[in-house]
Amino acid sequence: MPEFLTILSSQDWQAIQLTLKLCLYTTLILLLLGTPLAWWLSLSHSKLRTAIQAIVALPLVLPPTVLGFYLLLLLGPHGAIGSTLEQLGLNHLAFSFSGILIGSVIYSLPFTVQPLVESFRRMGPRPLEVAATLGASKLDQLFSVILPLCRGGFIVAATLTFAHTLGEFGVILMLGGSIPGETQVLSVLIYDHTEAMNYAQAHQLSLGLLITAFAVLFIVYGLNRRFEREAIL
Amino acid sequence: MISLLQHAAQHCWQHISQPRQLAAAPECQTLTVQLSLALGEFSLQLNNSLPLNGITALFGRSGCGKTTLLRAIAGLDRHANAQICLNETPWQQGKQFVPVHQRRIGMVFQESSLLPHLSVEQNLLYGFNRLAKQTAVRLQPEQVIRLLELTPLLKLAPQYLSGGQRQRIALGRALLSQPQLLLLDEPLASLDQQSRSEILPFLQRIANTTGIPMLLVSHQLDDVVKLADHLVLMQDGRIISHGPLPQQLMQPQLAASGAMSLLHARSHGCNHHLLQLSVGQQQLQLPAPMHTDTANYSPSVYRLRIQARDIALSLTPLNDSSVSNQLQVSIIGFNTAPHPAETLVQLTLDGQPLQALLTKQSVERLGLQIDQQVYAQIKAVALE
Repeated sequence: MPEFLTILSSQDWQAIQLTLKLCLYTTLILLLLGTPLAWWLSLSHSKLRTAIQAIVALPLVLPPTVLGFYLLLLLGPHGAIGSTLEQLGLNHLAFSFSGILIGSVIYSLPFTVQPLVESFRRMGPRPLEVAATLGASKLDQLFSVILPLCRGGFIVAATLTFAHTLGEFGVILMLGGSIPGETQVLSVLIYDHTEAMNYAQAHQLSLGLLITAFAVLFIVYGLNRRFEREAIL
Repeated sequence: MISLLQHAAQHCWQHISQPRQLAAAPECQTLTVQLSLALGEFSLQLNNSLPLNGITALFGRSGCGKTTLLRAIAGLDRHANAQICLNETPWQQGKQFVPVHQRRIGMVFQESSLLPHLSVEQNLLYGFNRLAKQTAVRLQPEQVIRLLELTPLLKLAPQYLSGGQRQRIALGRALLSQPQLLLLDEPLASLDQQSRSEILPFLQRIANTTGIPMLLVSHQLDDVVKLADHLVLMQDGRIISHGPLPQQLMQPQLAASGAMSLLHARSHGCNHHLLQLSVGQQQLQLPAPMHTDTANYSPSVYRLRIQARDIALSLTPLNDSSVSNQLQVSIIGFNTAPHPAETLVQLTLDGQPLQALLTKQSVERLGLQIDQQVYAQIKAVALE
């Protein structure tokens, strides 16, 4: 193994693993939840849409600590959801992986929904009307028309969500604390290393994240350009 | 496979070469529509039963509700309390609503609607590949490709095609979904004159060959007269009349865009590049179309479009005139013309309606009356 990797401690490795797991789960859950939501947003003309649009965009402007704080109240042992879970014989969700997963799903929601809404709008209703008149059911339309035509939107949504979850810090610290293997993701571990004056380790992880984030965004913008070219053709 | 293709080709060619009225008996369908809709200024009130066979034009000004009606028939829009039945099959009735993909309709939209991520061939087969197992396949891909001359385009991406080519593919794609009814929403509107002429003959060819009834939305009387057999006239959200095109052309509402008549004439020969035609017992001669093969002449039925202002009337046959087409007709009525000084004289020629635009002064001078026999001098005819 190269020197860079051998000097990562097992705690570092655990944090990397946990971070990737959180990013992956968040992205999958958000693609499943965000697609129908984005679809509704791109079509609906109801007044409710404006409200939902604002709620979806809230994490963009709200300090992550505020979001984390309310989630902590809600999911903790005395919160509405947390106490209900305890009554059912389950654990409350504060300071757990499930808790920070819920937090990051909410926190990254706009990064999934907005690119999807954009690409659904660009496609417009016509291709689906065409497919329907040719005998394609709704599900068939999803796979034979929406997915291929909005491929760019889906890829951009997935990568942005993944990358944004990678950089999540405030919500996780508020809601999950820093429990190794459970809630101690890379960003939190870097904070811990810095607090403990382990600048070398903090530096390695920071540099790793920096490069990864840059690479992901570089790919996203590259893809964006390609899909725009395709759309023009 | 080769023999199948050859068979398809021969089969197809036989159909194409058959003149209009000799083609396989077209299916007659009945479309029943009840639709009541109000959106601000716009209102649509329909309660009609329309017989559909051949090409039926849905004609009216922009904004009179033609496209709204077509979309309701297709099931693309669902309106409350609407009732739509094709023959005995209810497509929408009370709470029952057959979704678009289960209605056996083919639709061609105004602008290009090819799926951009699929090749021409994949577009063509999109509906064909989704046919229910029990659907009887009457039109094979080879047949449609030949009929619409699509072979050279098959491997291309839709982005590289002209407007006319795209509409032809959209038409072929709709046909391959084996529809009971073809709905065409101004398929020519977004095309330039050149592209129009690339697609018009194909529409006629489809009507002749397949027998699938078509409902064609149009606001261009020219296109309607070239293509349609029947006309449904819409105005301000209502159907004000419907029936065979030649009779419908007599409607005063259509006179505003230039009154004209349509005669069906049977040809029975070609002499000195003059086509010999007969309407009932009477004869006409017209310059034959340039490409007519006089050696292998076969009789067929032509549509003659005659502008009302290209017909003059006289009480006796004229022998010292350059106009050689002179037909004996009888007057059946008078209609108001758009211009206050003119009158539209309604005529009948062996049961076929015809109209002439005369000044009121001429009508008085000749003393024209209903049931009078007169001679119509036809100065110009467009052979469709």
